[in-house]
Amino acid sequence: MSSRTTFEQLALPHLDAAHNLAYWLVRSRPDAEDIVQDAFVRAFRSFATFRGGDIKPWLLTIVRNVAYRWLAGRKRARNVVSIQEAFAPRAGDSVGEAWIASEEPSPEALLIGAQERARVLTALAGLAPAFREVLVLRELEELSYNEIADVIGAPVGTVMSRLSRARGELRTRLGALIEKEEKDAM
Amino acid sequence: MQCDEAQALISASIDGEVSDVGAGELRQHMAACVACAGVQADFRRLSQQLKSAGREILPARMETRVRQALAQATAEQRPVLVRGKPWVQQLAAMAAVCLIAVFGTWSFTRYMESESRIEQDVLSAHVRSLLQDSPIQVASGDPHSVKPWFNGRVEFAPEVKDPAAEGFPLVGARLDYIGGRRVAALVYKRRLHTVNVFVWPSASPGDAAPRLIPVNTYNLLTWRHNGLTYWAVSDLNGAELQQLQALL
Repeated sequence: MSSRTTFEQLALPHLDAAHNLAYWLVRSRPDAEDIVQDAFVRAFRSFATFRGGDIKPWLLTIVRNVAYRWLAGRKRARNVVSIQEAFAPRAGDSVGEAWIASEEPSPEALLIGAQERARVLTALAGLAPAFREVLVLRELEELSYNEIADVIGAPVGTVMSRLSRARGELRTRLGALIEKEEKDAM
Repeated sequence: MQCDEAQALISASIDGEVSDVGAGELRQHMAACVACAGVQADFRRLSQQLKSAGREILPARMETRVRQALAQATAEQRPVLVRGKPWVQQLAAMAAVCLIAVFGTWSFTRYMESESRIEQDVLSAHVRSLLQDSPIQVASGDPHSVKPWFNGRVEFAPEVKDPAAEGFPLVGARLDYIGGRRVAALVYKRRLHTVNVFVWPSASPGDAAPRLIPVNTYNLLTWRHNGLTYWAVSDLNGAELQQLQALL
């Protein structure tokens, strides 16, 4: 079996996770795709340095590095993309694709509803990248604190405090969004 | 416990990442703090909402794209090994050929130069010996007088013969200087012709058959025998010179 076959068997199941992290770091769909492709090629080339175990944190570390390099390279004056830009459907997206988690919405998705989902993701998009990434790694990728520490290259204590501050920030922003919606409705 | 400290523990407890000690302390704080109880409820809901929100949708083309990129990366890696090697080999072969050609030409020219230089030296020495009053330092037709004369004058013992009976009487001997070294010179007569035979130790091993080299109106005959190089030179014809060679 070639090393490429082995790599593909191990890494491709995490394509979803890689893409999700890349998207949440750069918040641009075309760029996220480029980053994922670049990260997978880099991961494949340094596959020899992978020491076994769960490949997911190793792979996400590479995705994160590529994404941060991309962010640094862009050095955009406007680092925060507007909410409209971040969530408006793009060319090539089917209408509503951006708003629904999958073609057939999960029971949870139906339960919280499209509006609530949009609201929490808007709040998440407004956070600083350092807060955003720990929340994505924890809540969406369900990594342990140890794994997150490996991916972001920080001590576990930092992961813990950063997650706590990220949640506090998210809570504040969500509260502000709800308040604004209520004000608009009136 | 302060509320901000409690908030970190609340966050960690939601993730199941809090120690037993921390959990106990947190329970104590929560029992007394209404604000933190609210934070805990909000954090739980937020966590639930994020989890439910799910990942950003992976475009269907992404897997094909990555597979293609990986295939390309593999293809790019291979040529480095497959195409690179023969290229290096070709270069090495070319370099080797160049080196051999250069060295070959150099050593051949050097050999030719030394050969023709010796020819020149031999001829000059012969002509010079005829210009002087006498071509010999020791006059003797007796090999047993001539051979010891070289003792201490050259660092080898030349073989001296006197083929007078065959018409090549030994006249005598002298020292000469050929190719940057002191050599033994034996002088023979053939009728009125003078023959100089220069002798010195060979640089290359083994015997070599006589080779006749006509230079201007002179004939040079060279051969190697028993570790010694011989050069016979005279205005004598080649056939008779070879006749002398056979007698020495």
